[in-house]
Amino acid sequence: MQDQASHAASLALAYAGAGLGLGLAVVGAGLGIGKLAQGVAEGVARQPSASSQITAATNLPLFLLEGVAILAEVFCLMIVLKTS
Amino acid sequence: MTLPFLAAIVAQAGGAHQVATEASQQTVDIIGHVSNGEHPLLELPLILGINFSITKHVFMLWLVAAIIFVVVTAIVRRSIARRQLVPAGAANLLEVGVEFVRDTVVEPNVGAKRVNGWTPLLLTFFVFILGANAIGLIPIFDFLALLDHWFIHSGEHSFLQRLIHGSATATGNFNVTAGLATITFVAIIVAGTRAHGFVQHWKNLAPPGMALPLYLLLIPLEIIGMLVRPFALTMRLAANMTGGHIALLAIMSFVFVFTAMLGQLGGIGIGLVFSVPLGVGISALEIIVVLVQAYVFTLLSAVFIGMAIHVHH
Repeated sequence: MQDQASHAASLALAYAGAGLGLGLAVVGAGLGIGKLAQGVAEGVARQPSASSQITAATNLPLFLLEGVAILAEVFCLMIVLKTS
Repeated sequence: MTLPFLAAIVAQAGGAHQVATEASQQTVDIIGHVSNGEHPLLELPLILGINFSITKHVFMLWLVAAIIFVVVTAIVRRSIARRQLVPAGAANLLEVGVEFVRDTVVEPNVGAKRVNGWTPLLLTFFVFILGANAIGLIPIFDFLALLDHWFIHSGEHSFLQRLIHGSATATGNFNVTAGLATITFVAIIVAGTRAHGFVQHWKNLAPPGMALPLYLLLIPLEIIGMLVRPFALTMRLAANMTGGHIALLAIMSFVFVFTAMLGQLGGIGIGLVFSVPLGVGISALEIIVVLVQAYVFTLLSAVFIGMAIHVHH
């Protein structure tokens, strides 16, 4: 009985950790992509003729950022799948 | 899609006290939906301890490769047979794709001198990943499952059942994307070796003329970075493809959760108001994700190959 309760408690902690991690990853990625979008919008507003170059230069950091966020979410999913 | 998964969801919603056993059943079946399926299509014996069985993802890989091969060769052969200089019909589409990859992905990264050498590889990446991603969005096997449920009634262990179960998105499998990223990994080394020679390519990893202690820090870091890049490519593609499926499955399973909680009317209501509109929205988002991920894999491969050729230090 005692054992079962502690198991359930640790399970709950693991799920809470996965959920928190997921949220934090989204917050971080959202801030990063938001800053990127801000930079692009300001750049294009200042230099409309350079918009294609600006977008091209934004692609790579955008995808690297997205990759990190996706990795974090996969690891959170792995916590959930491991604990159940 | 699989019945045990729905049964587990309903059972769990019905009795919250059965958490431990039902939860394990449920998660196993989510993975069953987005993975290879429980039984391979064709069981083969182990060779050198490696399982060479033909699973559904292997089948999908061959299917995508066959479709792309037939379609592209048919278009190009027809275009050549007519001696056209200006493309007509489907050749227009093909030419737009080829020019897009060559001019906006490969050339800015690899450089004008080597663009024709690296375009074929990266174009193959792009078309193959796009095909494998896109075929996962088309519900061929779900349609087959409906046919089977109503008309065919094949047995539980028939070939059709094994074909229906499991995911149709081969690029949602980490093993597939790891294979693709390994090709990139080798391509980076080949590109550096061709441009600078074998020894100079490895010397290029760290800039020359620094203090010795700095090298002790820098060389392990560069080696880790070399290995992390294909790993990130693997994870990004597979996780993006799997993530969309899991999200759709979770949203659609709300219908069954609410059916168990509120009865049939509640299930239908939540399906009409919430699940189906959101599912349509996520499917639309998936179309963008499919295009973007094929583009990203190609772009990052081109960037890494370009970094091996044009070393900045």
